[in-house]
Amino acid sequence: MLSMQNISMVYRTDLVETHALREFSLEVEEGDFISVTGPSGSGKTTFLNIAGLLEQFTGGRYELDGRDVSSLSDAESSAVRNEKIGFVFQSFNLIPDLNLFDNVDVPLRYRGFNTAERKRRIERVLDTVGLASRMKHLPSQLSGGQQQRVAIARALAGEPRFLLADEPTGNLDSHMAMSVMELIAEINRDGTTIVMVTHDPTLAEMADRNVHIRDGQVSDITTDTQFAKVATG
Amino acid sequence: MFSYYLKLGWLSIRRNPLLSILMISAIAVGIGASMSTITVNYLMSSDPIPQKSDQLFYVQLDSWDPNNQGDDGFEPPDQVTYIDAMALMKAGKAYRQVASNRSGLVLEPEGDDERPFSVDARNTWSDFFPMFDLQFLYGSGWDDAADQNMDRVVVLSKEINEKVFGGENSVGRSVRMDGMDFKVVGVLDDFLAVPKFYDVTNGAFNDPEEIYIPFNLAVEYRLDRNGNTSCWKPSDGDGFEAFLNSECIWIQFWAELRTEQEKQEYMAFLDAYVEQQKQLGRFPRPLNNRLSDVMEWMEIQEVVEEDAQVMLGLSILFLVVCLLNTIGLLLAKFLGKSGDISLRRALGASRSSLFIQHMIESAMIGLGGGIFGLGLAWLGLRGIEMLFGDFVENMVSMDWVMVLTAMALAVASALLAGLYPTWRACSIAPASQLKVQ
Amino acid sequence: MEIGPIWRALMRNKTGAVLIALQIAVTMAIMVNAISIMQERARVMARPSGVDEHNIFHIASIGFAEDFNERVTVEEDLNALRALPGVVDAIQSNSVPMSGGGWSMGLQTEPGAEIDGTGVALYFVDEHGIDTFGLELLSGENFTATEIEWRERTQTKWPDRTIITRAMAEALFPDDPDSALGKTVYINDDEPITISGIIKQMQAPWNGWNGVERVMLVPTHTLFGSTRYIIRTEAGLRDELMPQVEQLLAEREKGRIVRSMRTMDETRERSYRGDASMIKMLTFTIVLLVAITALGIVGLASFSVNRRTRQIGTRRALGASKVAIARYFMTENFIISLAGVSIGAALTVALNMLMVETFALTRITWYLVPLAMLTLCVVGQVAVFGPAKKASSVPPAVATRTV
Repeated sequence: MLSMQNISMVYRTDLVETHALREFSLEVEEGDFISVTGPSGSGKTTFLNIAGLLEQFTGGRYELDGRDVSSLSDAESSAVRNEKIGFVFQSFNLIPDLNLFDNVDVPLRYRGFNTAERKRRIERVLDTVGLASRMKHLPSQLSGGQQQRVAIARALAGEPRFLLADEPTGNLDSHMAMSVMELIAEINRDGTTIVMVTHDPTLAEMADRNVHIRDGQVSDITTDTQFAKVATG
Repeated sequence: MFSYYLKLGWLSIRRNPLLSILMISAIAVGIGASMSTITVNYLMSSDPIPQKSDQLFYVQLDSWDPNNQGDDGFEPPDQVTYIDAMALMKAGKAYRQVASNRSGLVLEPEGDDERPFSVDARNTWSDFFPMFDLQFLYGSGWDDAADQNMDRVVVLSKEINEKVFGGENSVGRSVRMDGMDFKVVGVLDDFLAVPKFYDVTNGAFNDPEEIYIPFNLAVEYRLDRNGNTSCWKPSDGDGFEAFLNSECIWIQFWAELRTEQEKQEYMAFLDAYVEQQKQLGRFPRPLNNRLSDVMEWMEIQEVVEEDAQVMLGLSILFLVVCLLNTIGLLLAKFLGKSGDISLRRALGASRSSLFIQHMIESAMIGLGGGIFGLGLAWLGLRGIEMLFGDFVENMVSMDWVMVLTAMALAVASALLAGLYPTWRACSIAPASQLKVQ
Repeated sequence: MEIGPIWRALMRNKTGAVLIALQIAVTMAIMVNAISIMQERARVMARPSGVDEHNIFHIASIGFAEDFNERVTVEEDLNALRALPGVVDAIQSNSVPMSGGGWSMGLQTEPGAEIDGTGVALYFVDEHGIDTFGLELLSGENFTATEIEWRERTQTKWPDRTIITRAMAEALFPDDPDSALGKTVYINDDEPITISGIIKQMQAPWNGWNGVERVMLVPTHTLFGSTRYIIRTEAGLRDELMPQVEQLLAEREKGRIVRSMRTMDETRERSYRGDASMIKMLTFTIVLLVAITALGIVGLASFSVNRRTRQIGTRRALGASKVAIARYFMTENFIISLAGVSIGAALTVALNMLMVETFALTRITWYLVPLAMLTLCVVGQVAVFGPAKKASSVPPAVATRTV
């Protein structure tokens, strides 16, 4: 599904070079649920941005579904994001002026579905996250947990094969966090590949595998069944 | 997708009402200022008789002073003498031809309590009415015979017919003017020539005359002339006959020539006529006759006021200031939305779709500015009317061409202003604004 | 003070600053050129017509009846008008200054058709002309009643004597204008006419003519069918006398109509209406323009303050006083304004050169440029004051908050 080999990411300013990722390699299989942990500044978010085609990388090779993404044009990578990838953010990033229906509608518009298809999908995903009855509400009228459910619904509406979540429970209390995590786990059971960045070890353990990043490199990978160390390339 | 962008634009405009109002006002003020001056210039330079302006030719014969330049150097004079006007009329070489001049009469309405009043008159020929496509409410113009026989006939303007006959069909009735009874043969429908092309010598933006009478009749009875008269040498002796035979110019001469060939033939005729006059000792300057069609004549006579052009230039610079203003505000607005833009990028919006989205938003602001700008332009024109008075009354109304121009200018300005801010907005990286709220 | 860091910060975020500077520059170019046009118009409007404007009015009389005897009517009209209490004097003439319509001829110092005459505006007057218009006779003598002729419109013969303005004397005899009195000049190429008097000043009927002060008085009554009476009243009695005069003339002779009664004040107003309107329009344009530019400054400065809220909070946390924060934004604006007016000065001169070339406009007077630069810098400071004050009220605690 996702294959990164020796990815490096260097931020250059006039004075300094910052290596956000160096020789970063990772394989993610179809249907995996992977958590990514690491200290602040280790490169978690940079990894997520590159994985989600939000940022160009400086070196190495990244294949998504067997396709080299470094050669994609803006329109092509936009289309890949739109069709194959779903995003869930720590701060939800719902558009405050739009009601739930219209928020979920955003990626579908760029997908070019007709009105009936969009409506069908929006209703279905909002139903999945249990908010079908509040379609006309604005984000500000919902609790944090509900807002994150909407964000997840928005990510799912395009039926992506790959969901990227960046601290999806970071702004939620533990009760709400649990219910959101259950939703994510359920989505994974339905076949969607998930990569989730988190700093919470408890949540990290809910994934099939945990990837720990330190200084821009994968320091170790743990599978929850074995907790065995695996050497990385 | 277009309607989706419209919706997004509307939401975005609503999100920062103050900023949006500032931008719309900036465009509106710029459009208002430039459109009011554009309208005045447009009307001043408009084609007053578009259906045949290229077939109507103003005749200039260079009968002027060989020693001294006029105001325009050695250009031919802007009117013709009585001798030449009569010779050209008599020759009748053009499809239609009209010699005319401006005069004034005193009209005595019937009834003892009605006070006499003066009317602007045009002394002209029967061809005047078909040549300039004048429309009649009642009756028609007079015929050739009336020209020759000096019939006491008159064509009234709609306004004078209202004033004297209460708007009734007055054909066949009689009007007393300057102590003579004239028979009404026709009443014109509304007639407005902006500019008043057939006589720019006596004010390019005056109203058309109130009555029309046969030229020969006016000469025969020595009716008062009201227009410009210029002479480069004194008449031979005193009296009206001497004046008629003098080198004084006071008549405007128009010829209708339907084809290039007719025009060339007429020019040859004019040259031959002048050569023949030279034999008689007239036309001391070198041969220099002119035929100018309506728009060429307007150009030569510089009917567009210089003040109007100065104001046009300044108001377009004004629009530039308003646009610079709008660019700044749009930039502030679009960069203020970077979170939203970045999110849309992450959700799969390509750069080009964001570009379209923001250009549409700019166009919507332009449209708003255009609508308010039209209102302001209307106010501006009322202001100009108030300041300048009667002189501009025919130059301060907007037709649909001006309305469309205003909207197009507003939208084009807004798109131009939106270009750079949109480009900046589209360059926002998809990941840059997602991490923190 | 901290100009260095402000400048460097500006350079890293130029666009907004460049836009404001350009806006100020174009504003200045429009403003200075518009003021220059206004000055020129005001100068033209301030020229005196040479006549006693506040106490003179005029009225047209047009004969139409078949039995209308113009000569008798004019003589009796004038007698009646001069006898009216409150009337200082009255004449019949063909025109008045600033009316826009009149008669002009050429005068030349040598006879001959090949000689270029000097254009001059004519007023036909009788011996009451100087008194009625309120003119000042510098030298020579007034016309006498016996020499006034009666003239048909198409007559070619001219009287023997004329009174001209000092400006006309200067135009005819540029080397020695004082010698003009008593000299013979020629009208209609070769008809001699003697200068019997010089008046100090009087304007022609056309205020836009470049020879506007070249005038000659001709001792003649006219029989043109339509004429004009000019009436000078005692101070303060003009408005009272106007309806009386109109009624008197209308009722005295029914074979003519009287119309277009106007004071000289009104004649002046109508004559300079275009110039006065131009001044008003340009004033309005300038005010609006400066307001738009000021609003633009307010808008962009507010945006920049909002964007930098966190940075401002950090500065405050690090010990910057409120005054220091406000001063930062004021200084930033001053730098932008200074750049703007500098470009503006160049743009102003360029625009002026273009306008002088394209239209018959005058050059700008030099002091307008520094004056406009100063004004726009002050406007910039006033406009940025609000946003700067807002910036200074950002609490230091913002620094520790995630925004």
